[in-house]
Amino acid sequence: MAIEEYEHDSLRCTRCSFCKWIPWESMRHPDFMQGCPSASRYNFHAYAAGGKFNLALSLMKGRIDYTEGFSDAVFRCQMDGSCDVSCKAVQEIEPLQNMQELRIRCVQDGQGNPSHMLVIEGLKKEDNMMQAKKADRGKWAEGIPVKDLTREKAKVLYHVGCRYSFDEELWPTARAGLSLLMKAGVDVGIMGRDEACCGGRAYEMGYLGELIKFAEHNREVFKAAGVTTLVTPCSDGYQTFKVLYDKVGQKLDIEVLHITEYIHRLIREGTIKFTQKVPLTITYHDPCHLGRLAEPWVHWKGKEVKVLGQMIIHDPPKKYRRGANGVYDIPREILRSIPGLRLIEMYRIRESAWCCGAGGGVKEAYPDFAIWTGAERLKEAEAVGAKAIVSACPWCTRNFIDTVKETGRKMDVYDIVELVSQAV
Amino acid sequence: MSDNNALEDIVGTGNVLDGIDILREYSSDLSFVPSRRPRCVAKPSTADEVQGIVKWANETMTPLVPVSSGPPHFRGDTIPAMGGSVIIDLSRMKKIIRIDPINWVVMVEPGVTFGELQPELEKAGLSTYTPLCPRGSKSVALSMLEREPITIPAHHWDALDPFLCAEIIFGTGDKLRSGEAAGPDSIEDQWKIGKAQMVPFGLGQFDESRLISGAQGTIGIITWATVKCRPSSTRTRTFLISSETIEPLLDLSYRLIRVRLGETCFIVNDLKFASLLGKNQEEIRELRAALPRWILVVTLEGYGPLPEGKVEYQEADFRDMLKQAGNLRHLQNVLSFSEDDITKLLTKPSDEPYWKLRYKGGFSDIFFLNTLDNSPAFIGAMHTLAHSRRFPSEDIGVYIQPIVQGTSCHLEFDLFYDATDSTQTERAQSLVTEGAYDLANMGAFFSRPYGTWAKIAYSRAAETNILQRKVKKIFDPNNVLNPGRLCF
Amino acid sequence: MDLTKDAYGALEDIVGPENISQDLAVRETYNQVWGNKLVFDEKWSTRPAAIVMPGSTGEVQAIVRACNRYRISFKPFSSGFEIMSTALASENAIILDLKRMDRILDIDVKNMHALVEPYVSVYRLEMELAKHGLYIGTISAGPEAGVIASHCCHFGSGTTQVYAGGLGRNVLGCEWVLPTGEILRMGSAEACNDWYSADGPGFSLRGILRGHSGANGGHGVITKCSAKLYHWYGPPEWELKGSPPALKRLDKVPDGFKAFGATFDTRDDAYDALREVGQAAIGFSVWMLIGGEMCEGNDEFWEMFQKMDPAEMQRLAQSLLVVIGANSAREMEYREKCLRKIVDKWRGHFLPQLNDPMYLALRSAVMLWSIGTVRETFRPCGEFFITPCTDATEDMIKHQNTAMLEGIMPYVHKGAIMQPGASPFHLPYENYSVGSHIESIFMFDPYDDNSLQGVREWTAETFDPKGKFGKFGVPCLGGGLQIEPVSHVVQNWGPLYDNYDVWLTKIKDALDPNNLGDWSAYVPPVFP
Repeated sequence: MAIEEYEHDSLRCTRCSFCKWIPWESMRHPDFMQGCPSASRYNFHAYAAGGKFNLALSLMKGRIDYTEGFSDAVFRCQMDGSCDVSCKAVQEIEPLQNMQELRIRCVQDGQGNPSHMLVIEGLKKEDNMMQAKKADRGKWAEGIPVKDLTREKAKVLYHVGCRYSFDEELWPTARAGLSLLMKAGVDVGIMGRDEACCGGRAYEMGYLGELIKFAEHNREVFKAAGVTTLVTPCSDGYQTFKVLYDKVGQKLDIEVLHITEYIHRLIREGTIKFTQKVPLTITYHDPCHLGRLAEPWVHWKGKEVKVLGQMIIHDPPKKYRRGANGVYDIPREILRSIPGLRLIEMYRIRESAWCCGAGGGVKEAYPDFAIWTGAERLKEAEAVGAKAIVSACPWCTRNFIDTVKETGRKMDVYDIVELVSQAV
Repeated sequence: MSDNNALEDIVGTGNVLDGIDILREYSSDLSFVPSRRPRCVAKPSTADEVQGIVKWANETMTPLVPVSSGPPHFRGDTIPAMGGSVIIDLSRMKKIIRIDPINWVVMVEPGVTFGELQPELEKAGLSTYTPLCPRGSKSVALSMLEREPITIPAHHWDALDPFLCAEIIFGTGDKLRSGEAAGPDSIEDQWKIGKAQMVPFGLGQFDESRLISGAQGTIGIITWATVKCRPSSTRTRTFLISSETIEPLLDLSYRLIRVRLGETCFIVNDLKFASLLGKNQEEIRELRAALPRWILVVTLEGYGPLPEGKVEYQEADFRDMLKQAGNLRHLQNVLSFSEDDITKLLTKPSDEPYWKLRYKGGFSDIFFLNTLDNSPAFIGAMHTLAHSRRFPSEDIGVYIQPIVQGTSCHLEFDLFYDATDSTQTERAQSLVTEGAYDLANMGAFFSRPYGTWAKIAYSRAAETNILQRKVKKIFDPNNVLNPGRLCF
Repeated sequence: MDLTKDAYGALEDIVGPENISQDLAVRETYNQVWGNKLVFDEKWSTRPAAIVMPGSTGEVQAIVRACNRYRISFKPFSSGFEIMSTALASENAIILDLKRMDRILDIDVKNMHALVEPYVSVYRLEMELAKHGLYIGTISAGPEAGVIASHCCHFGSGTTQVYAGGLGRNVLGCEWVLPTGEILRMGSAEACNDWYSADGPGFSLRGILRGHSGANGGHGVITKCSAKLYHWYGPPEWELKGSPPALKRLDKVPDGFKAFGATFDTRDDAYDALREVGQAAIGFSVWMLIGGEMCEGNDEFWEMFQKMDPAEMQRLAQSLLVVIGANSAREMEYREKCLRKIVDKWRGHFLPQLNDPMYLALRSAVMLWSIGTVRETFRPCGEFFITPCTDATEDMIKHQNTAMLEGIMPYVHKGAIMQPGASPFHLPYENYSVGSHIESIFMFDPYDDNSLQGVREWTAETFDPKGKFGKFGVPCLGGGLQIEPVSHVVQNWGPLYDNYDVWLTKIKDALDPNNLGDWSAYVPPVFP
């Protein structure tokens, strides 16, 4: 694919600006209607998905070249997909795919983001996005008597991803997730030092090659390990393994589950039982990569045809990814089943959730923007009366923790795994 | 007079009047605006004649003062402000051109009065919107063009209602039919394709009807207008709700208008209401003594698909509101005046003499816009002002007319006095002129600034003044239309 | 073209470096909007010299003054979602994106008006107002359409205009930065700092603020508007349920309302009934059912469409949808009875398929908030256009509609356009006391030569004042479209419509002696 593949879409972007807001059908509160952090923070239309259709079209038609404003608009964006849901509530064009291809084109043309380049250098050298040493990758699990899948066999691979591997403050969550599985008797193992990056965040930064490289690598490794199921507590990783690998023709042959899905399964089977009260009033933040971006990839091959004069339809019919099939209910069902826990919903939820701020390489390149975005989410959590915000992704958790620290807002931050651990 | 030959060529011999008595009639009115004798009075009967006069005025730089209503006049807007003015008296233009009972629209010439229109409308099952008991000689089209408040706020969507479209002769002499009425076809041909000249929206990006509204004839002269009507009521309930304080009535009127329950809705004080009913001073005094301090007048009219059902449900809902409102009294009648008498009073023009003249022979009004909730403060201020100028507070009638569906109100004080008593007259004059300054300082908005109010209003509207002058220059570059009015 | 260094510096000093851009790429996102292909034959209109984002009236004033000093044209907009919204008559022009001016400054609950800035969207205000039991008239231009854009600057119609008015009639106050930089607060706002009346003293300057259409920024910048509000019968908040958002529904018609669908044997009967429903003052939202159901996508629509009986579809297009609001059970009962009597009089039927509670719940969401546009009008083919488009009596609408159907069908038959049900968007204003609005909406693909050609031919036919549509009145879109190839509407129609073009140009000249307010969707002082 390339931006040229989306020329049709660029031409048909009407400038309705729906991409800046959540769909009107999902609007619940006049103070929490915006959907796009980038357009909300930087205002100019270029920062919205519609603006990026304009940029892509003008670039491919030779009307403009790369400029500072171009790069800023392209990279000061979490790629969170809110625009995609809002746009496709009313249209049949693909703003997020266009934005992705635009980043890929930037990288191909040597116009990648300088901060991202540093990260990618680290990735190439150390197989992780955290600019950390590969040798330290397995340290998070030290002391846990878990199978090492480089040497042993297990049915389930527990893949924590780069953030959990190197963010020490979050290690307890990664460990808790693993413990839950082990206590439940799951035949689980980890790759330890040999676990590799999924490649998803690099892809979002515009590095298609890195995604394919890691996809090929991981496919081989997982196959060699003989696992049947991959479980990850990282939503970014989950979306990469489940959706992006499929998108780039590297679909995994094994089952890919987010840890919430697995825990939910164990709860339903009766293997996990909640015995402890967790007296908290919390709100749940839908991670983009577990929610709207986690819809299975749709491979469609066919052609556009016209009916009723000029109406554009598809032969065979094309099913668009409109945000309906993310993982939304499972985390909520888990939270609701924890004794003593009170779940209050925010105004922007599920496919219309506001991003935590960390995605799309923003955390790495524009930390102030990441914090601003996180702060907007915390305001919403406060507005509904929550005392804590719970996510299901280490990138969200990290950004919320940083936001609390930087802004002084009073909000506890949890990963859902932590609360489940407290409750069992 | 040979100077008038050109005018006679336009309107015909006999329709240019310059007899001394006639000119005296047009040189003053019952306001405090200084009198000035016009040069002559021209009485056109067609739009072409009006256009001819305006073109002639531009050639000769003659001021024109349009007059549509018959006497008596009260606001000074028809008295020439410049010497040598020619009055264009449109009273010969009396045709009720078309009554459209399907679309509820009537087309009238400017000389058609409320007294003349209502009986004709009734034949078609329609009723006109009116200000509160207008004088019978008042021009329907001009009353509406001047944004006089109508008594049915629920139907008053816009400040211009119920005025719709018009044929306008601008100060340049150019003719334009506004809104839906514009176009290449004659009005008759427009009717053939179903047009009714009822859609008032301006052409392109300006709104011609609005531009001449409240202009006191300074922008253009209309030669016909269409105005909204409503079906005649087949069964009307009229409620007089009284209170010794005004606030509960204001609250009730807010509630009524918000849900558009009923038709007529206004608040008056005892004197005003007595003046509306009484035939003479004695009767007015007697009525006043029998009346509570404040009265909210509400009618529920039966028309539409289910006239009876409309009145029934509205009455039941209204009674619920009354119950919730608490200590309000429903007056069944006022002395010998029954509900039917009051209903009739509200649906026709004033009997002669004009009701405002019956109490003391003379009166002056002060009226302006504000919001309903601010009315008590203005009423208090008016009484203080009257006291300071030794004008008897008890001789002030108060009328609060919610307009534009309750978003604001017309607040009117009628100062009743004996016009033959120079002291009373002077005190009234002082209140109407200088008192208005104080009220304006309090926030009174003189949106229709007659006479001396223009100075007050424009001293608070510097940018409006500048822009209006620019617009005036476009439509009346030689300032021939009613010069000396507004800010021109 | 670029601004001079001095001019850019002056503007930058006003708004700060964060709020101005002359980056080529950023500018390129301010010249692409729907309609450009139809009007300019390409996706792009003139590229602005810079984008400036003022945050206050004072900043707008300073920008306009700087524009006068440096002789730079300017064009303001809020959401910018409209045909011609990005069009510029000159390359030496900046766009004022008013996104930062987004405050709801006041809601006067008692006196029913709200004071807002340009980037306050209608749906945001609706949600805020519902908490106070209030409502604002909206046009069917989508939830993000600006209150000021619809009230003061542009044209549009919405299904609740029967109850809550439209086309500038709800303007109770206005703050207007004139093209010369003066700030005019109309009416009571200037006189006494209260925003309840925009008329006077003396004649109403609303007469030059806008007419049927607005000036689209051609005569200055509207920085505040006091909008008239209406009673809201519904709940303080509501929730649509379902997934994905395109399929979200109310689970019932909200409390305080009832909805009905009445189908008539002939189109004329439906029109007569529409007039009487308006006159009976019973409707909160009234419109003629327009072809096309809300589906997740075009493929889903097509699947459904194929199952439908064409005759039945034609019949359903002669339907009137009515949402009634009431303040009491008695009022609801009365209004429902009125509706039934009117429907009966005009031989109408309440067909089960239009009166199913779930169907009515689905429709009522759209009808209460007048949401519309993109899904229904852009998604099917790419773009839509409206012509003919008129405000008139029902009687004239019958005449015009006959002519419209006769004229448009050849274009439908040759596949140039899509017009499902051949039913125009048709709805009464203000209890029909100022007539009704009708617009013939059709969809087309601007990147299909056959389609584009057909639309241009049909547009030329209907926009020809000497053609068979000339007698029905100036096209509603006559606000803009000054630029070839579509039409010089004002210039062409003016001479036949009492020379209104001449007055407009004079107004423009008086307001804007340096001709700096971009006139591409207004009028120039002298037609080029």
